[in-house]
Amino acid sequence: MTAPAREKVRLPRLRHRSPVSWLLVVPALALLLAVHFAPQVFGGWYAFTDWNGIDISPRWVGVDNFRRLFDDDASRTAFYNTLKLAGSMVVLVNVLGLALALSLDRQLKTRHFLRALFFAPVVMSPLAVSFIWQYVFDFNGGLNRLLAWIGLDGWTRPWLGDPGWALWTILVVLVWQYSGLAMIIYLAGLQSIPEELYEASAVDGASTWFMFRTLTLPLLAPAVTINATLMLIFGLRVFDQVLGLTGGGPVNASETLATQVWKQTFQNGQYGYGAALALVLAALIATLAITQALVLRRREVA
Amino acid sequence: MAGVVFRAVGKVYPDGNRALSGLDLAVADGELMVLVGPSGCGKSTALRMVAGLEEVTEGEIAIGERTVNRVPPQQRDVAMVFQNYALYPHLSVYDNIAYPLRSRGVPRGEIRARVERTAAAMGLGDLLRRKPRTLSGGQRQRVAMARAMVREPQAFLMDEPLSNLDAKLRVQMRAEIARLQHDLAVTMLYVTHDQVEAMTMGDRIAALRKGVLQQLGTARQLYDEPVNLFVATFIGSPAMNLLRARVSAGGPSLRLTVGEQTLDVEAGRWASVRRYDGAVVALGVRPEHCQPPRTVEPTWPRLRGRVRLVETLGAEELVHLDIEGEPVLADEVLEVVEDADASMVQSLHQGAEERRVPVVARFPTEEAPAPESLIEVALRPDRLHLFDLATGAAIH
Amino acid sequence: MRRSAYTWRTFGLELLLLVVAVVFFVPFYVAAAISLKSASDVYSKPLAFPSNPDFSGYRTAWHGNASSSLGHSLVNSIVITGASVVGLVVIGSLAAYALARRPSRMSTLLYVLFLLGLIVPFQLGIVPLYVALRHLHLNQQYGGMILLYIGLLMPLSVFLYTGFIRALPRDYEEASYVDGASSLRTFLRIVFPLLRPVTGTVIVLSAILIWNDFFTQLIFLSGSRQQTLPVAIYSFVGEYVSQWNQIFAAVIISILPILAFYVVAQRQLIRGFAGGVKG
Repeated sequence: MTAPAREKVRLPRLRHRSPVSWLLVVPALALLLAVHFAPQVFGGWYAFTDWNGIDISPRWVGVDNFRRLFDDDASRTAFYNTLKLAGSMVVLVNVLGLALALSLDRQLKTRHFLRALFFAPVVMSPLAVSFIWQYVFDFNGGLNRLLAWIGLDGWTRPWLGDPGWALWTILVVLVWQYSGLAMIIYLAGLQSIPEELYEASAVDGASTWFMFRTLTLPLLAPAVTINATLMLIFGLRVFDQVLGLTGGGPVNASETLATQVWKQTFQNGQYGYGAALALVLAALIATLAITQALVLRRREVA
Repeated sequence: MAGVVFRAVGKVYPDGNRALSGLDLAVADGELMVLVGPSGCGKSTALRMVAGLEEVTEGEIAIGERTVNRVPPQQRDVAMVFQNYALYPHLSVYDNIAYPLRSRGVPRGEIRARVERTAAAMGLGDLLRRKPRTLSGGQRQRVAMARAMVREPQAFLMDEPLSNLDAKLRVQMRAEIARLQHDLAVTMLYVTHDQVEAMTMGDRIAALRKGVLQQLGTARQLYDEPVNLFVATFIGSPAMNLLRARVSAGGPSLRLTVGEQTLDVEAGRWASVRRYDGAVVALGVRPEHCQPPRTVEPTWPRLRGRVRLVETLGAEELVHLDIEGEPVLADEVLEVVEDADASMVQSLHQGAEERRVPVVARFPTEEAPAPESLIEVALRPDRLHLFDLATGAAIH
Repeated sequence: MRRSAYTWRTFGLELLLLVVAVVFFVPFYVAAAISLKSASDVYSKPLAFPSNPDFSGYRTAWHGNASSSLGHSLVNSIVITGASVVGLVVIGSLAAYALARRPSRMSTLLYVLFLLGLIVPFQLGIVPLYVALRHLHLNQQYGGMILLYIGLLMPLSVFLYTGFIRALPRDYEEASYVDGASSLRTFLRIVFPLLRPVTGTVIVLSAILIWNDFFTQLIFLSGSRQQTLPVAIYSFVGEYVSQWNQIFAAVIISILPILAFYVVAQRQLIRGFAGGVKG
């Protein structure tokens, strides 16, 4: 007799008047609005002003800041650099990450050790490791010495000091740092493919390459989407590595939008201009990432 | 089309686990051979070795004329239907069926023709554009079969293809698969743990236990002439009744003592039974060979027992009675019983303590006895089986 | 994983991978080696490990001078990271609980709002935040940074927690409510202990993100007494340009904590990243 009566009490209680209080959300919500959304709205507004952070009120200048972005050498270079880095990162990190994952997805004796090793760079401070790589790429540093030692003198060059090479050197460090992340995401994806499908595929006569093309890749599509989106966002936001390796030079050759935001705002006192740069960066990230995700989602399967 | 031959095939895993020993089996071209046995008996392992999915550690496997031990699965020209179908989830039914043809570079036009023909034969014509996850279990099963058929391979390997279907569908598909095999005259190796399936489908049956082949023969042979306790218990439902009996073999007649009762039968059938004089053996008799004395010849030996339960099946009655005596508690018997119904093991042990053996008899409907009544059951003398309790082997 | 047999090919692949792994890590070896060399030796024989290690670089880095002391910044990093993580766990889990257990249009809307925070990059708001904190005199203070980080990473915390809580069976909570407990009490005594796995993920992910973060810390804490490890390293390197042994001593000091943490917790870390990112 008591059981049914209790049930009757339980259900209506949760439906009409949930005991879970709304108050629980308030702190999180307050912080979210205060730290994320409100500042972004203001930031968007500053972008159209020429504020220098000191004057009482900023002055509206319309789209002047944006026009300046493409006139100013440093900013224009930064804009294109950002795109180049992000694009290359997406491709290279995914290729290397996938290669590593495929290699590690089998009964190797040092499997766990290797996996931990390749993932380690992901958790390290990008700034700290950049300094180490700065030494490697320094004109008198590790790489050039190695090349000279094995007799490839002709290949030595000022990796970080040459405007043509600086950006790509940074790319190497980025790929080194993030391939491990792509790798473990691909590993998770690979492990979710049932072994039975590979067996059926083998009996059906599929060669290793055919299996990869028709079975592995399509079933990895969700992982590809995640990785591509992630790397795109990371690539567009590159900051630490640039400061750690080249400081933005030589002669602005390796500036990115993020470094420009910092420099213009906090070193040149150009708050309005800096905000405009930040707005462009934010817009780039939002539109490119969403577009890419949508495109890839459509090609995803089952 | 080709036959499949196992020559002294064994399988040992790197960790020392032995799955199969000394299997000698020849599947004729166009034959439907069923590999049956409880889980862990090695039947799936044997099948996968034919497919090339498991390495052959001992012996040889030949498909047609060639030994295929070292040949990779891709080149063996066999087709396999997996227990969980292993359909490619991201491909449509059409693409699933076409897969084995595409992997071999068959031209587009030919693929289309063959896929459509096979799909039609399996009743999948309307489903070609669908993805596996939108299909029912039975439909997926057909797609798996179509994918195997479209290649016209030398042999078909079926790994418990029906175990994920509900009972009714299973019965239907069983018949269809058998018919298909017969029409196409393809060599088929069929693995199942369901002895009913094995009995109804196979041209011949290979019963395995713990990696060793127990008996090879037709359904009739396994049913009427089981070579050991395992086969006797495993095949047939309800299972064969087994009782411990003491043998007294003097002269032309044989006396078997079960509990306080004695049975006198002709010794002729069992030439070597003299060796067991004074010893205890297992006496086996199938339920349908236990009949009410009234309806059969008066020469049939009889046993008395108390009726515990009568199940009405409509066409006949299943009479469960307890006979005073000792049940057979051999390992192979207990394993099979446990697989079928774990609680029975408990009651068998209890029976051993209380000196009673549960026996099942199939009586005609009119002869249904009342529960708790003491009745006599007549045993058909030419259908009695004797087994050596030490080896489990049938006594001949 | 592919159960294929361990053939010679597999062995060759493993060897290749080990070579790649070595290449991956040579820079660290070199950095460690150089950090222990004296100033004059730095450019000689980069691959050789010094026979008598010179720890002076480490001492300088640790104690530092007026502008940058690594030892001090380490403490700062610990305080800020620790407090922020605690805040994220507490506030985030509470909010997630409400969102997950009150299915209504309002909570869906709020959830989407948090998700948006996850996607939309925060760089745009950095200038106004700087200005605001300056106004509130929270600039260059622990409190300011902590609040900032809690806010910035809140979407991640809420996202992870909500997903997890949604999958929890409600029975124990319901029993608690029938007994008359408030939602806060129920949450603390019954739900939160069940959240151990996802709390682990939240802690691990946010701790690493905050500890390594440079951009925000550079902007807000540069030059102050509260500057954190990345900022300290940056200014240290700026001072000791090309004195690689010093620089690497500092760098090694800065990555040791994370490295130690990684060695201990790498499985949890890897699982956390893989799982967290999959959302």
